[in-house]
Amino acid sequence: MSDQILLEVVTPERRVLSVHVSELQFRTATRGYYGILPGHTPLLTPLGDGLLYYTENGEKRWITVFGGFAEVGPEHVSILARVSETVELLDPGQLNAERLKAEQAVKEAQTPEELEQAQVALETTLIRLQALGLASDH
Amino acid sequence: MAGVQDIRRRIRSVKNTQQVTKAMKMISAVKLRKSQERLVSLRPYATKLLQVVQNVVSQMQQGETTPMTPLIQAFLAPREEKRLRVVVVAGDKGLCGGFNANLLKLADALFRERREEILQLDVVGKRAADWARKQGLKTTREYIATPLPGLAKVANELATEAIRQYVADEIDALYVVYNFFTSPMNQTPTALKVFPMALENRAETDQEEVPYLLEPDPVTVLEALLPQFVETELSRCLLESSASEHAARMSAMDKASTNAAEMIDRLTLHMNKLRQASITNQIIEIVSGANA
Repeated sequence: MSDQILLEVVTPERRVLSVHVSELQFRTATRGYYGILPGHTPLLTPLGDGLLYYTENGEKRWITVFGGFAEVGPEHVSILARVSETVELLDPGQLNAERLKAEQAVKEAQTPEELEQAQVALETTLIRLQALGLASDH
Repeated sequence: MAGVQDIRRRIRSVKNTQQVTKAMKMISAVKLRKSQERLVSLRPYATKLLQVVQNVVSQMQQGETTPMTPLIQAFLAPREEKRLRVVVVAGDKGLCGGFNANLLKLADALFRERREEILQLDVVGKRAADWARKQGLKTTREYIATPLPGLAKVANELATEAIRQYVADEIDALYVVYNFFTSPMNQTPTALKVFPMALENRAETDQEEVPYLLEPDPVTVLEALLPQFVETELSRCLLESSASEHAARMSAMDKASTNAAEMIDRLTLHMNKLRQASITNQIIEIVSGANA
């Protein structure tokens, strides 16, 4: 058994990532963060919104993942994300503007649905900012 | 001389048409590339998702009894198909060869065959909407002139509603009629059953598979997995159709441009002949006048 896992991240829009990693962590929908090491038992679980951390050549990196599924095998992990971005794809200026807009929307929300929608938008922006190291973990 | 004048005018008009068809061809080529890119990037996702669904479903078919929620039942033990919902995906514009005509012919056949069973009809594209109106069919939802990035939202809406209806016991199956994008030269109208899923029995595969752990529990996983699957399939159909439309238009416009070029050649030859003839005539007149 090799000590590497093939991590593949695909979204409906593109193949985000395909790298060999030595370990990774992702956020599940209901059970918090899962850490995966090589030789993990096959597992399938829905994903939550958050960052996916992985260690490639001893270097810790991360990408954003929103929703979808993780399919884990002994030597591979496939992430079928609804949306996912590498750090390079994110634009700090635009995100900060989005954050302000989202915070405004949360304040001005009238109905519970509106509030929920606004909160999801804010959460999304915060996760992206966190990926850039501009917001603290919340 | 009037003849030459007329022909010249015709050549000019054909040239204008040719310019238009050439431009349309080029636009379609660009749009085709965009649609195709999206389609190609969706395919690995769709294939992977299908694999996962198949694995989980076959595992659940063999494995221990799981509680049947309506949604899971849709995939494990489909109901008899008595009430259908059909989505017809065509283009918004014409000038694309047999793209719309072939597709609507297929839709026609499907409706003739199962008229009583089809409860609801959704149409994507103006041509499909026009067709439904002509046939006197009532449509539930119409999506007209959807831009490429908007297709994902359309797929999401349709998938959510269809699944809700299935769970509420209002429909038994969802079909999509669309053009499958085989290659830029070839598109095939296809009627696809999105769900309930026709899973081939994979019990015979000798590949030894370790069953997945489904966390937190099988029902939650499947309930989350299946809507995603339906949405992805719909999304793929819409993209296939969009790529097909541009490909069809591109080849139609290519043919039209070639035709126009040929016609210009023919007309030019004809015009030259006429002009030559009239010059010869005039010379004969002068010569015979001088001789006299």
